[in-house]
Amino acid sequence: MTSTPELAGRAGRPTATPAGPLHRPSELTPTIDVSGLVDADGGLLDRAIFTDHQIYQQELRRVFAPSWLFLAHTDQFRRPGDFFTTYMGEDPVIVTMDKSRAVRAYLNSCRHRGARVCRADAGTTRNFTCTYHGWAYDLEGRLVSVPNREGYPDRFDTADWGLVEVPRVENHRGLIFGTWNPRAPSLREALGGMAWYMDAMLDHDGAGTEVVGGVHKWVLEGNWKLSAEQFATDWYHVNMSHASALMLLAPAGKSPRDEIVHRAGRQYVDPNGHGAGFPVHPKNRFDALAVHQWFDYEAARARLGDARVEGPMTNGHATVFPNFSYLPVNGSVRVWHPKGPDRMEVWAWTLVDRSMPDEVKEAQRLYNLRTFGPSGVFEADDGENWSEVQAISRGFVTNSVPLNYQMGLGSEREDGRYPGKTSELYSDAAGRAFYRRWQSLMNTPAWYEVDR
Amino acid sequence: MSTTSDRVATPFLAADDRHSDLSTHFEVEQFYYREAELLDECRFSEWLELLADDLVYWMPTRTDRLRRQQALSVAARGEAAFYDETKSSLEWRIRRFDSGTAWAEDPPSRTRHLITNVRVRHANPTDDLAATGADGDTAVYAVRSNFLVYRNRLQREENLFAGERTDILRRTGDGLLIVRRTILLDQNVLLAKNISIFF
Ligand code: FES
Ligand SMILES: [Fe+2]
Repeated sequence: MTSTPELAGRAGRPTATPAGPLHRPSELTPTIDVSGLVDADGGLLDRAIFTDHQIYQQELRRVFAPSWLFLAHTDQFRRPGDFFTTYMGEDPVIVTMDKSRAVRAYLNSCRHRGARVCRADAGTTRNFTCTYHGWAYDLEGRLVSVPNREGYPDRFDTADWGLVEVPRVENHRGLIFGTWNPRAPSLREALGGMAWYMDAMLDHDGAGTEVVGGVHKWVLEGNWKLSAEQFATDWYHVNMSHASALMLLAPAGKSPRDEIVHRAGRQYVDPNGHGAGFPVHPKNRFDALAVHQWFDYEAARARLGDARVEGPMTNGHATVFPNFSYLPVNGSVRVWHPKGPDRMEVWAWTLVDRSMPDEVKEAQRLYNLRTFGPSGVFEADDGENWSEVQAISRGFVTNSVPLNYQMGLGSEREDGRYPGKTSELYSDAAGRAFYRRWQSLMNTPAWYEVDR
Repeated sequence: MSTTSDRVATPFLAADDRHSDLSTHFEVEQFYYREAELLDECRFSEWLELLADDLVYWMPTRTDRLRRQQALSVAARGEAAFYDETKSSLEWRIRRFDSGTAWAEDPPSRTRHLITNVRVRHANPTDDLAATGADGDTAVYAVRSNFLVYRNRLQREENLFAGERTDILRRTGDGLLIVRRTILLDQNVLLAKNISIFF
């Protein structure tokens, strides 16, 4: 037996922690072939993927663990010791700035008996001390204090028992992502063509974005894919689901349906499962009046090009596979944290341009709070849909009836204006791509399975 | 160490130490019961009449913090809030319910607002709040009360919201009006799929 991580780690485990002779029997992680549950070509989906517990466990292993997952915004870390706790899949993690000002992420679980070493949501600290037996870790994740250290055998080396670090943490224009997968392509590569669309929100003027006001968190009784998929592909629901909110936004005397229904636009379909939809119009504007009046559309045209200013910069929706979504018009970005097949937790941030004057930032914050977020006049009706779909899908017969994702089948093409494959604004194309990616990951052994 | 209630009260409140007299206390309690009735019966336009035109209606989020950073556990003004409203933004939200397409409240929630632990104090008459009020405003009260709001929807959805309200009430010719309301919900992650009701 050895405590050398290279020799003792893995054995089917996603981290290189010393495991001695431990090895997990494969019966613990049965694998389901999901080929028959997603028909991405024909646009059909089996509802079992939203309800089955084994499939959910497999998602944590094969969809979440290998993917780049959103952690936080760089603005949340201004000096060493600033920390924010969140989840990657169902794994609790601490994101913090170390003494060299690098943002790092650690599994929030003590290496001794597994308690959380940080139970605050955010704050500033010098170290993370476990309140169970008192092991303490510094900002670099090193185990720096062990009560009754002399009680351990000679071969016990604190160097082997630091916090488990998320091996890859990278950021794209302030959005920090992490992955457990040491062999993942770079974040930029994983975002691929999606980055061009994301930058329409993140790179208005080169000064970047910042967070206003902290994080909204709330629960939804629905599978995480329902919302992630919707933000990738579903402009279709807007007219019906949000009819009441559209009425509030419509200019007096104009029917909101005329205003919105006949809009043309595009939907970006990314081969890695990302998606973004947006109306296209030369006069597309930010909804919040103060933001609209302040914003320099001409300068944005020069920087981002006409196609982005007239499309994905303002109205629209987007998902970065698997569970990060955003709305450019109000700067709402969110993670759909999975909490079992039937539940999720929504964590939502509001991003604003760093260059905005304070009163414009405040206007965007208020607009976002009143439209999206748990009391938002749009968001409230979204939650209603997902919980409704989830609640009835336990029925045996209900669960067996396939769902339809056939809108815009075969419409994906290069349109010469929006890069990559795009479809119509009203289309399920990015949804089909989302589930194609999901299916492929679910049926592919993750890096740690290959190591075995 | 500042307490959470200091933190919430600070932006608005300048209460002095005088408790209200018995009849004012009675009047405030009855005012709240009437308000609860209007909310539970979805008579929102009548509820709006209890709100002053210069209303600030605020429900900050709360987070878990290290003990020495407890002062940060309630979001400050300008930070994340479940509600940060004016009278006109509340009117705007309420207009949605009449559209016939506000699905999150259609069919509507059954709610029950229980209001308790009412503590009425005179607010400092030199406070801005009195100054910004309508002519002749003299009596301003700082009132804290606890609430338990039960919401039941559809066949078996249930939510319980417990917390405290810190209000500034102004006496006018038409009776009491709510000028400030701070709602401190005793939750971190909101344990409901939305907030489409008022407190
Ligand atoms: S579980 Fe952390 S010190 Fe024992
Ligand atoms: Fe929506």
